[in-house]
Amino acid sequence: MNNREDKILNSLSGLQKTSAPNFFYTHLIGRMQNELPEKKSKLLLRPVILTISLSVVLILNIVALTTINHQPGTKKILNPNETATIQSFANAYNLTAETVYE
Amino acid sequence: MTEQELIYGLRNGEELAFKELVNRFQHKVFNTALGLLQHYTDAEDIAQEVFIQVYRSINNFKAEASLATWIYRITVTKSLDHLRSKKRKKRFGFISSLFGETGKPVVDVADFNHPGVQLDKKEDALILFKLIAALPETQQTAFILNKVEDLSYREIAAILNTTEPAVDALLQRAKQNLRKKINQLPP
Repeated sequence: MNNREDKILNSLSGLQKTSAPNFFYTHLIGRMQNELPEKKSKLLLRPVILTISLSVVLILNIVALTTINHQPGTKKILNPNETATIQSFANAYNLTAETVYE
Repeated sequence: MTEQELIYGLRNGEELAFKELVNRFQHKVFNTALGLLQHYTDAEDIAQEVFIQVYRSINNFKAEASLATWIYRITVTKSLDHLRSKKRKKRFGFISSLFGETGKPVVDVADFNHPGVQLDKKEDALILFKLIAALPETQQTAFILNKVEDLSYREIAAILNTTEPAVDALLQRAKQNLRKKINQLPP
């Protein structure tokens, strides 16, 4: 029985190392040319990258809106104290009943 | 080209350095992958992946170990990952077959004939490779690196990030397990 064990266990003695297949380098370069640019575009589509870029765009928008509203010399888009009435609008453009029918 | 020059060239993206790296290590990488995977095409695939990984992460190589050790380490990791993924697919295939899904077998269970085995030992080597595949990963790796790649205990210890006595213990346990498995074989 021991003889069989040793025979099987020693079956790798004198084993010759295997060489890589022919044209290994050429195949490798071909694969790298196919894979590497693809990986780059995949990197840009990663959820982390997408989330970060969306957040940056949102933050830039918020910053832009707040700075525009707080700039001196620019009127706010809506001021509750300056509600335009039809009368004030008509006065400003000299729109009286007479001017319309004149 | 010295190892330092080679690393410097690789870090600068020189094609000549990469070609030299492949020429220097392709047989070692392929032979190790073949021993662990026991599949010619898979071994070629993994060997290619190893060099792509080296190309990508050469800047992370800290030169604490030799370049050869680092490359062997990547080869072992990639090969074992591939084996694990194959086992997972095999399990999934088995479960799918239980639920009546038809499909081709995911894992080929063909016998592995190592091309470097002497002709009179082919039959025994075939049995041995089958038994090696059933060993725990660390024992399997140590055994392949020692018997197929002919590395010293010191080199194996560096690759597996362990000590020489630990490698010796791994190989002893691997042999004991193999003896047990041989005894369980039908006569």
